[in-house]
Amino acid sequence: MRDRRLLAVYCASPTFGWRRRYSARMVAPVLFGEALVLGLASGPACIAACGPVLVPAMLTGQGGMRPGVRTLSVFLAARLMGYLLFAVVAWELGTLASLLPASRMLLMGGVNVILAGVLFWYAYSAGHICGHACSEPKLVTIGAAESHRTRGAAVLGLLTGLSLCPPFVAAGFRAAQLGSVFQALLFFTFFFVGTTVWFVPYVGLGCVVRNQAVVTVARMAMALIAVYYLLMGIAMLLGRKAYGY
Amino acid sequence: MATEVCAPRLVRPERRSIARSLLLTLPILLWSLLMFFHPGSSAEWESRIAAAITAVFMVALFFMMMRTGTTYRWRRCFLVSLGVLFPVGFIHNLFVMRGSMGIPVEEMIAGRTPFCFMPIPTLILPAAFTRTIAFPGSIVPAGSAASHGIAAMVGMWLALTLVMGKGWCSYACFFGGIEEGVAAVPKRAKIRKLDGRWRYGPWAVLLAMVLLSFALFEPAYCAWLCPFKAVTEYISARNVLGLVQNVIFILLFAGLVIVLPYLTKKRTQCSYFCPFGAFQSIFNKISVFEIRIDKTRCKSCAVCQNACPNLSLSKESIARGETLLSCMKCGACVDACPQQAAVWHIKGTDVAVKPERARLLFLYGAWAMAVMFGGSIIAQGLATIFHFLA
Repeated sequence: MRDRRLLAVYCASPTFGWRRRYSARMVAPVLFGEALVLGLASGPACIAACGPVLVPAMLTGQGGMRPGVRTLSVFLAARLMGYLLFAVVAWELGTLASLLPASRMLLMGGVNVILAGVLFWYAYSAGHICGHACSEPKLVTIGAAESHRTRGAAVLGLLTGLSLCPPFVAAGFRAAQLGSVFQALLFFTFFFVGTTVWFVPYVGLGCVVRNQAVVTVARMAMALIAVYYLLMGIAMLLGRKAYGY
Repeated sequence: MATEVCAPRLVRPERRSIARSLLLTLPILLWSLLMFFHPGSSAEWESRIAAAITAVFMVALFFMMMRTGTTYRWRRCFLVSLGVLFPVGFIHNLFVMRGSMGIPVEEMIAGRTPFCFMPIPTLILPAAFTRTIAFPGSIVPAGSAASHGIAAMVGMWLALTLVMGKGWCSYACFFGGIEEGVAAVPKRAKIRKLDGRWRYGPWAVLLAMVLLSFALFEPAYCAWLCPFKAVTEYISARNVLGLVQNVIFILLFAGLVIVLPYLTKKRTQCSYFCPFGAFQSIFNKISVFEIRIDKTRCKSCAVCQNACPNLSLSKESIARGETLLSCMKCGACVDACPQQAAVWHIKGTDVAVKPERARLLFLYGAWAMAVMFGGSIIAQGLATIFHFLA
């Protein structure tokens, strides 16, 4: 209720009203240019926020540029799905009310816990998928995790798409000022395109040599990052009990 | 670690004459005088005595290195002293300045926290993208606790590292000194078999911490994983999360710095965990000094492999005639090798041709840094003890 009241106050503000009145007539290229520029400007924060998930995931996969591009594409496509899903649901459920702090903490806490679970699964399963009939499980089996990697990249992309990193919140607030859900979706799409440019260098991870050392390091790092997300997720879900305020 | 140990005849290096050893020690003696004696200064008597003792200690250790031709045990005396005395001086300073070992958030925001070299690898990406650093302090002098600015500290570290590579961990890291001291306590290792793949641990921690620091814009290692927070400054816990952080620090310290070194006689924190050590290893590629195995002399007895405190030798690496990238240049393998097959080496020269010259050149640089960096910490620790005794 409190969130909705806050939102009502915000929507009644002169700036918001002005934007609502003019949004229908607004020139679309300007609006979506703004989304693109916002995405481009926020790119470093986006690659930083996705790095802990994406880098180890790519390093546990197959080497080479083409597999790297494929994994990154799946990750980004799923991330876009996460963006759009969030935009639609949030818009329908109360004009992006869930971007307000209390709801945001709960949502992020939940996403972080799920993300931790997926990372644990990813790190564990990457070593147990054998492309051949191995008599004993090996710590690392390189290049035999094709379908596993695609599914994993998609799940990780979706979850990072739902994580409310600062640039995403900024875009969300801007999208909330638009007149229709369709415009909000387009705004998020252009924002996504802007941020995606920054992800291109990650394709280079495909060129990193895959050997036992690299894959094992990536898996260990993934497990460690998963522990961090789990801790933070639990803390966010506990809210005041964990943070004391 | 699981290796067969034979007992070949130990060929000791020849002892130098006292006069020659003194002559070789002279540059370090002069350097120590420059570092520790400041006539006319207004220092307390405790500080003066501590400085004098430290100078004598450092010069004596170097003299013994020259006289005996061995390195490891003398270097260990220094590093363990450094590891033991660092917390003494540091914690005393914290109590004088802050009245507690706990650092509150306000102090961190104000940048009033001493700079530590451990987060250096995690500063790079945030600094590259935002031109600021993810550490409480200022990158250039701005009145913070790191009064010379963190850039100056990083610059000094870089200069020393380019010369010595991972030698930093053997001649400067006070944290390593603590576990080396613990590892020296038992006569024999209780655990002798550890999976070699755990050697990748430091790289994994490095990767995770660099990525998390970039994502969160905080020194993630300092905030969550540093075992040495237990003996330096911990986070002033005001909520459950802070308490969890401190519990993690204490558990890591107890496990990696006390229990495992005692059981394995190895520097386990350095070998399996330390991200800074992994980062430092990269500079072994640049440094001209290294340890090589003379394949014509090596009998594959694995004595060097067992002696290495950092698991930087494997059967495969010995067969290749080299150490692993993580070699700290502590000299344990060189001193232990019964055939004198493990030798100091300068890149670009023939292996085992005048190895003592390579050792001398390396030791002058390493010991000069040890005197300047570690010596001042030892002197501060001693001064603190004298202060309490007086």
